[in-house]
Parts: sequence; C-alpha cells; structure tokens
Amino acid sequence: MGKWIWSYIKKYSFLMASGLLLTVIVAALNMVNPTAAGQIVDRVIRGGEKSLLLTFVLIMISATVLKSIVRYGYQMIFEHVSQNIIRNIREDLYDHVQKQDFSWFDRSPPGNVMTLMTGDLDAVRHFIAWVLYQIFENIIVFIFSIIVLSSINWILTLAFMIIAPVIIFLVLRFKNKIKPSHTKVRDQFAKLNTRVAENIAGNRVVKAFVRENYEMERFQKENMTYRDTTVDNANVRIAYLPVIESIGGALPVILILLGGYLIINGHLTIGELVTFNGLMWAFTQPINMMGNLVNDAQRFAASADRLWELKCRKSKIVNEPDAVAAGRVKGDVEFKNVSFKYNEVTVLENISFKAESGQTIGILGPTGSGKSTIAKLLCRYYDCTEGSVLIDGIDVKKYTLDSLRRNAGITMQDVFLFSDTIEGNIAFGKPDATMEEVKKAADLAFASDFIKDLSAGYDTIVGERGVGLSGGQRQRIALARLFLMNTPIMILDDTTSSVDVETEEQIRDSIASETSGHTTFIIAHRISSLEKADLILVVENGKITDRGTHKELLARPGYYRHVWLHQNGYEGDIQTNHTGE
Amino acid sequence: MARNKFDTDEELDPEFNPHIVKRLLKYLVPYKKRMFVAGLFMIIASFTSLLGPFLIKTAIDVAIPNKDMKLLVLLSSLILMGIVVVWLFLTLRFKIMSKLAQDIIVTIRTDVFSKIQALPFTYFDSRPHGKILIRVVNYVNSLSDLLSNGIIQLITDLFNIIVIVGFMLFINPKLTLVTLATVPVLFITLIILKKKQHAAWQLVSHKQANLNAYLSESLNGMKITQSFAREKENRSIFSNLCAEWKNAWMPAVIRNFLIWPLIDNLSTIGVSLVYFAGIMWFSDPVSVGTLVAFAGYIWRFWFPIQNIGNFYNNMVTTGAYMERIFELLDEPVEVSDIQGAIELPPIRGHVEFSNVNFSYEKGYPILKDVNYVITPGTTVAIVGPTGAGKTTIVNLLSRFYNPDSGQVLIDGIDLKTVQIRSVRKQVGVMLQDSFLFSGTIMDNIRYGKLDATDEEVINAAKAVQAHDFISAYPDGYNTEVNERGSGLSAGQRQLISFARVLLADPRILILDEATSSVDTETERAIQSGLTRLLKGRTSFIIAHRLSTIRNADIIFFIQDGKIMESGTHEELTRLGGFYSKLYKNTDLAEAM
Repeated sequence: MGKWIWSYIKKYSFLMASGLLLTVIVAALNMVNPTAAGQIVDRVIRGGEKSLLLTFVLIMISATVLKSIVRYGYQMIFEHVSQNIIRNIREDLYDHVQKQDFSWFDRSPPGNVMTLMTGDLDAVRHFIAWVLYQIFENIIVFIFSIIVLSSINWILTLAFMIIAPVIIFLVLRFKNKIKPSHTKVRDQFAKLNTRVAENIAGNRVVKAFVRENYEMERFQKENMTYRDTTVDNANVRIAYLPVIESIGGALPVILILLGGYLIINGHLTIGELVTFNGLMWAFTQPINMMGNLVNDAQRFAASADRLWELKCRKSKIVNEPDAVAAGRVKGDVEFKNVSFKYNEVTVLENISFKAESGQTIGILGPTGSGKSTIAKLLCRYYDCTEGSVLIDGIDVKKYTLDSLRRNAGITMQDVFLFSDTIEGNIAFGKPDATMEEVKKAADLAFASDFIKDLSAGYDTIVGERGVGLSGGQRQRIALARLFLMNTPIMILDDTTSSVDVETEEQIRDSIASETSGHTTFIIAHRISSLEKADLILVVENGKITDRGTHKELLARPGYYRHVWLHQNGYEGDIQTNHTGE
Repeated sequence: MARNKFDTDEELDPEFNPHIVKRLLKYLVPYKKRMFVAGLFMIIASFTSLLGPFLIKTAIDVAIPNKDMKLLVLLSSLILMGIVVVWLFLTLRFKIMSKLAQDIIVTIRTDVFSKIQALPFTYFDSRPHGKILIRVVNYVNSLSDLLSNGIIQLITDLFNIIVIVGFMLFINPKLTLVTLATVPVLFITLIILKKKQHAAWQLVSHKQANLNAYLSESLNGMKITQSFAREKENRSIFSNLCAEWKNAWMPAVIRNFLIWPLIDNLSTIGVSLVYFAGIMWFSDPVSVGTLVAFAGYIWRFWFPIQNIGNFYNNMVTTGAYMERIFELLDEPVEVSDIQGAIELPPIRGHVEFSNVNFSYEKGYPILKDVNYVITPGTTVAIVGPTGAGKTTIVNLLSRFYNPDSGQVLIDGIDLKTVQIRSVRKQVGVMLQDSFLFSGTIMDNIRYGKLDATDEEVINAAKAVQAHDFISAYPDGYNTEVNERGSGLSAGQRQLISFARVLLADPRILILDEATSSVDTETERAIQSGLTRLLKGRTSFIIAHRLSTIRNADIIFFIQDGKIMESGTHEELTRLGGFYSKLYKNTDLAEAM
C-alpha cells in the first residue's frame, strides 16, 4: 500500500539518506552540552580548575552553532525533497484522474477527489517533510543517550529504562486505536466536502426551490458528524498522549531518589548527576514525541490508504497495446452490430450503419433512446459491449485515445465552460490558435455579435459552466470551440436546442458549409436541423427503427413522419391540411 | 465584483490585520466559562511542572550534601504527585478545548455555509467554485489548531514566563538579570523575521487557492478535456500551479525554520553566561543546584517564547485564511429582505412589470423599460433571440435579482417589500440548467416538495412522461443519480427537473426551456397533461419551438431587452413583424 509512495521517495534516496545521516550528527552533538555541563560541575566548580571553564563554554557554544547549521540543513533537505515528491505524486495523480473513463466520472463526486488531492496529500507531505526524520532522529538521540548515560553509570541508566516497556506498550496500543479513527475523520471530511461542493454547484436550484433550510439541515448533519468524529479522534489522543508524556516525567523521581542514594554512597559524582539531568531531556524527548509522531504516522497511513484506492482505479478505456496514433482520418464511420449496456441496462442494441467521408448523418429519436450514446461510443467515451465501431475501416480501439479524439470532435448537450476568458474557452481544443482563428470560429457559430457586446469582448471571463451567459450563448461558444478544432468527424449533439429559431437557421447554414468535407453527425429534435442529411437514423428504445433520407422517411408512415407533421402544425396524421391551430 | 480566474491571486491586505483577531474572539465569547476553566487547569498544570527544577535544586544543594534520604524521598514523592496533577489537569484541559474548538468551528462553518445560501447568483457566476469550497471546508478547518491549542497555550505561556522569571528571581536575582540579557536580541530578530513571514505565508495561501480552484474546475470539466484531447495542456497548467505553490512554500519555511536555531543558540549563550557569572564574576560562588536549576529554567523559558512565536506564525497563516472567510461573510447580499418585509400572502397570480430596468454590469443594460400586466391564470410565452433578456425577465419575477429601477409586482405588491422566501415559495421556476443532486431519482423529484408521498412523486413523473423510463431501471425510482445526473440523458434530466418543479405546485410557474432537450413527441404528450396542470396558474414559458409556444394566451417577443411585440400567435403572425419573420420558416407551405 505505502509502497507506491515509497517508489517516489526512492528517487530522492540519496538526498534523503544524506539528510538522515546529518540527523545522526545532530543526535551526537546533542550529547555534548549535558556532558560539558557535568564536567563544569565536577572539574571547574568542585575541582577548582577555573581556567577550563572558557574551554567548556566554547565547546558548548560551538556544538550548538554546529548543531543549528546541520539541523537547518537537513530540515531544508527534507522540505525540498518532500515538496518535490508531493509535486510528483500530485501531478501523477492528476494524470491518473485525467485518464479515468467517463463511467468513473459519472460515479465520483468531484468533492471527494478534491479532498484526496489536497488534504490527504498534505498528510503525506507532512510525513515526508517532518515525521520521517523526526522518528529517525529521536530514535538515534534515544540510543545515544543510553550509550552516554550507561558509560557514566549503568545502574541509573537501567533504572531509567524501566519506563521503556510501559511506553512501548502504550504507544503500540495507541497506534492501533488511532488509525481507524483517522480514517473515519478523513472519510467524513470527504463527505462534508462533497456536500458543500454539491451545494455550491447547485446553488441556483437551491434558491429556486427555497431549500436553503433543507440544505442547511443536510449540511448540518455532515458538519456535526465531522465534529463528532474529530472529537472522538481527539479523545483517543487525549487518552494516551498525556499519559505517555507523564511517564517520561517520572524520570526526575528516579534521578533524585536513586541518583541521590548513589551519590551518598559514593557511586556517583554530582557532576555526573548534572550530566544525567541534562541528558534526561534526550531520553524523555523521544518518548514525549513518540505519541505525536505515531499519531502523525497513522494519519499519513490513513490518507495513504485512501489515495491508494484512487491510485488503484484502472480506467476501463485505455490505449490498446497495439493502438496507433492516427493522423487525420478520412472520416468513414461504420457501426457493426453494436450493443451497449450501462449499469446492466441495455442502452443500444444491434446498431449497424455506415457513413462515408463527407456525409452528414442525422439522428432523431425520443428522449433517452440512446442517440447521444451512439456519439459517445464513436469517440470511445465508453466501449461497446458487443460489436465494433470502425473509423476508416479500423476499430476505434486500435487508435490511440488522443488521436481518436483529435479526429472526432463533439459538442455535448451539457455545455461546460471554464472560468476563463471567452477566447480561452473557444481555443480550448487548440490552445495555440490565433485570435483570427478564434474570431472566425465565433463568426461561424454566430457568437461574435453577442461576444462583442460583452463588457470585455473576447477577454470577458465567464464563470464555471458559463453561468452568466444564456443557454443559447453557451451553446454557441461550445460550437465555436468545435469549429476551431476542425476535426474530420464532427458530432453536434443537440447543439442548438437553446438557440432561437432564426439564429439556428443561420447556424445550420454555416454548419453545412463548415462541415462539408467532414463527416458530420447531427443529433436533434427539430426535423429542420436534420432534413438535409444524407442519411437519417431513427433511434427508438436503443434500436434503429428506420433509416433513409428526409424524402424517403417522409414518404412512409412512422415515427419520422409523425414528428415532422407535428412539428409543422399538423394535429394527428396527414388528414389536416392547414398550418394552424 | 471582480471576476476571478483560477490563476488570479485574490486581492488582500498585505498587512496582518488585528481586526481579524477581534472578530475571531467574538466567536469565543459564548465559551468564556469553559475557556476560563481550561485556562485555569492549564495554569495549575504548568505551575506544578515548573516546580521540577526547584525541587531538583533542593535535592542537589540540601538533601544530597546532607545525606538526607528522608528529604530525597519527600522531594521525589512531591515530583511524583506533581506528575499526577499535571497529567490530570492536562487531560481535562485537552478534553474541554478539543470539544470547544470543534464547537466553534461548527459555528463558523455554519455561518459561512448559510451565508453561501444567501449569496446571489452573481457571486457564484464570477469566481471558480473551488475557491468558494476551500473557504467553507479547508480554511475553516485550519482554524482548529489555533482555537483548540493556540489561545489557551498563549495565556499559559505568558503565565509560564512570569512564573519562570519569578522562580529565578527567588533563587538568585543577580543571575536572573544575566540570563535575561539575551532576550532583547531574540525579540528584535523575531520582529524582523515575522514581517517577512506574513507576506510569504500569504503568498502560499494564494497559490494553494489557485491550485485548488484549478483542480476543482478541471475535475468538473474533465469530460470536455478528454473529448478535446487536451490532457497534456491541462497537465502543464497544473504542473505550473504546483510549481508556483512549491516556489511560494520554500521561502516561507526557510524563514520558519530559522526561529528554532536562534532560540537554541540564545539559550546556550544564556546558560554559558550563567556559568561565567556564577563561577567567575560573582564574589560569592553560586551553588551547583542553583546552576542546574537555572539551566533547567532557561531551557523552559525559551519554550513559551518559541510557542508564542509559533502562535504568531499560526495567526499569520490562519490569519490569511480567516481574512478569506470573513471576506466571504462580509460579501454584500444584493438581494435581501428589507426591514419590515412582509410575507407575501397567498397570491392569485397577477403579475406586473412597471418601467423595469436591469443590468448585470453597469453600462450594459439587459432590460430596458419593460412594462406589462398579466392577469391570473394566463399562460405567457417569451420568445426572442438568444441573450435578449428572456431569462432575466423571469429571474426578476423570482426575485433572484432586484431591478435597477421600476417595480415588479405580484397581485399589486412590490416584490421588494416582501420576504424573498415567500416569493420563491409561490413562484416555481424550472431553470435552464437541470442540476440534479446526488441521491435517488425519488429524492430529486421530492426536492420540490419535501413532504410529498411516493405517490405524489410518481404522479409528477407521470405528468412529464418520465415515469416510463424511470420504471425501466432495475431500481426504478431508487436509481442513484448524481450532481450532473450522469447516466441520464440531457432530456431525461430535464424531465426529472420538470417533475421536481411541478411537484412544488407553485402559483406562478416559470418554465425556462423546460423541454429544449426533450423530443417533440414527448413534449406534446407533456403539453396535453400540462394544460390541465396549468389551469388557473399564471405561467411563463421560455422556448424556441413553435410547438411549445403557439398555444400560449399571450406571446412576448423580446429583443435587446425590450418587449417588441405581444399578442397571440395569430395576432403576431398577422402583424408581420419580428415574430412572423422568425417563424415563417416553420410554416408548412415553405417546408414542403
């Protein structure tokens, strides 16, 4: 589990190892001052060698200065390394998320992924930057202090050691108890984050339905649960950490009682007692820190587990091993007996059709009949369950995803714009586009007029999801975005549903001219958008129930003619003859 | 209001603002008593543990030279008792404070969240959602440590410094003065360091906010990114943001880590001075015990000072976060209830716009002098070019915005004078953006009327022709959907949102492109049922399809923020103006 994080650390193993080596130096330097203090007492004060005082003091000061420099050095090393490691992990995770398939995004709330990539990653950073070397340093200091102390007086040292088993016992128990608690806190934090993220994203609906109080209630539930898990977590810490620290505090008792006894019996000098007193710190410090470090380490482990889960998620849509990067395809498209199931519900069944390069294919059908899914299979957002989708006679799975999607562009029904300038949004698929290209694309999508009227024109920043713009304006920006990509295959999925009739007509003309030479799929509900298509597919209930040109389909009874008649004002079927009421 | 992109740092005071502390302290007021108790416990614990060096001094100077084992036993049992006292009181103090800190955080977070409920659309429209999110969750969380430990610790530390100096003075006043000689050096350096630190940490928080905002948005828009095969560009933007964060981080920690060595060295110098003074300079040599005690106290003396430094650090980092939180809390709510706003009584549905002007941005008017009167029960269709102001007209009716001038009246009552809630309860709107919450389809429809029975929900779904596709799912109405309703087609999501608004049973119903993604046959089926549902209700329908609008009682043609034409379909067709021009092509004769 933690192994994958280890693989990142390994890259910096030299720096990390040098850092750890430096902690050994610091640990050794930590022994200098208490020893010098003991010497001062025994030799200077009691032995009267006053000339030695300056030497000892200089030793103390230079040891401290050296210690500060070395310590600062490795702290910087660990900060530097941890920042680089976290940056690598974060970027790799971002890549990993970018590679996930649509069905994962369908299920994973962004708030949760956010939590993982911010808070949980920070626990990892803290571990590498601080906890790792602290644990090491404290162990070394502890060992050194035992060595120095036992060289002075082993009886007293042994007496100090009595507390060790108790501490180890408590620390281990604490370690086991705190981790599940940290996992709970992180999970609940993710829930809270998701709840709030959703509320922000849905703020319009909340207001429209006056559901502020209801939202408050739902939020309060997560808010309170988060508080409770945090308090529970704190209580586990409170139950152990003060006890562990207090036991460390028992050492002065041993020092005075046993140390005093030993001095009285002549087995120990006062100077040695002073050294012991000074080194007591080196002995208790690791013990005091241990609880906190174990706590941090377990917090890290809990977060690493959560991140590992994300890391383990394998995208179902990946480049096949023998996939090739296609250049610009011709644009022949074929669906061969394609069936598709989503969450065990059949969405498409046995779809077969052919489109030649340059042709326009219209798709009409009731809501939820699977029209958009056809488009999504073509771009390989999902893989079909049966059959195959071919472009230029080659299965789409044999193209690299990147090259496939650079050849098959789509405007989705649900227009998403980024909080960027209008220019940036139009040039999204081609970031190096010139301003002229952007303007031309906007012209073609009949968006330039309203863009010019905005306060900052093309530099106007639109909010996330383009809120602030009307539905029709957003759709036109999405359309311009597609036109700029100029892919050989273009899919217009209900692209003009929110555009007024007049503009739609103009757009239709420009689609016709812009898409000539492109294989174009038009999914629409208005027959007027489809009627010029070379082939029109009628999709009902996941099946193609009819196909043909506008004239052919109109000539025979069926869904298409039915819809056409209704859209043109006829009630019932062909009997009525006037346009009206 | 400044619109904001992910890579724009937000504007903030460069100086640390003490006003923020005052404001934070207000949140502590209700917990005064508990904090006082916790502080008292902490002080008892501190004082007890500070006795340690003094007791050891006594042991070295009195008990050991006199070979007085009894005194040694007494002293060590005193220390032992002290440990128990410290443990007991520390535990109690932690218990009180961790609960208290969480209570305060819950309060602040609730304030922030409820503020967000009150903020107008424009707030959400003009900045990345990630930047709002991080305020509610992460920034509030970062207060936790400051509140749970920081403040009590600060009080205790100040107390400790006094007690330590007291003990030292009690043992040896002259030596105390020698010890304190190093303190000014510390303070001067700290003051210089802190100033730079504040700026450095503020930069870190900016960069982190930018990173988070980009992350959040790119997660939301990942499908678009993938469909435009733009992963590489995004990766490099993200990588830059990560690098910026790291580059801001390093200078901040470089300064942070300077403080500890400074204290360590000063404390060694302090101890050295004590040795020199005690052994060489003073005429009467100081006892070993005194030197040991002083070394112990000097060591303990720097701890609280370092803690105070840490506290300040914490204040500085969290101060930057708190500024953000308070900035959000201070955000003006453009649309809010005026003093003495009354509840809108049950309405009949008479609607009037009188000389209404409106603009989102100054100088860019959206609605210009709009006037109309609608009698109860009328179905109004609003048509016109994209961006003409159709949605804006209905948004004013729900009072999502206030008009710049003029009046919006329902049943003759100016909406400005009534409570917003009471307006929106009676004016139901189906928005263009069919947002679904994560939960079951049943929950989502029920959002319109929380106490609706399953049967009512199903009836609403039936009315919008959604029942069939919903029941086709293996889990039927209990099928889980989420934020963007993934797994459902755009049309299906619209139908669910439509059912949601119908279930709310509002007196005035606004359908803003309710069925734009729905096929025309389903739409027809809905309409036949809808005629019955809309009976007696005033309704506004924004649509482009002729089939949707032609049966309306009155049609408004809007262009450039004005009602250019109004009348029935026949009247407008006969008029031969904009409307007839717009819909001439849907005329049967031409289409043939």
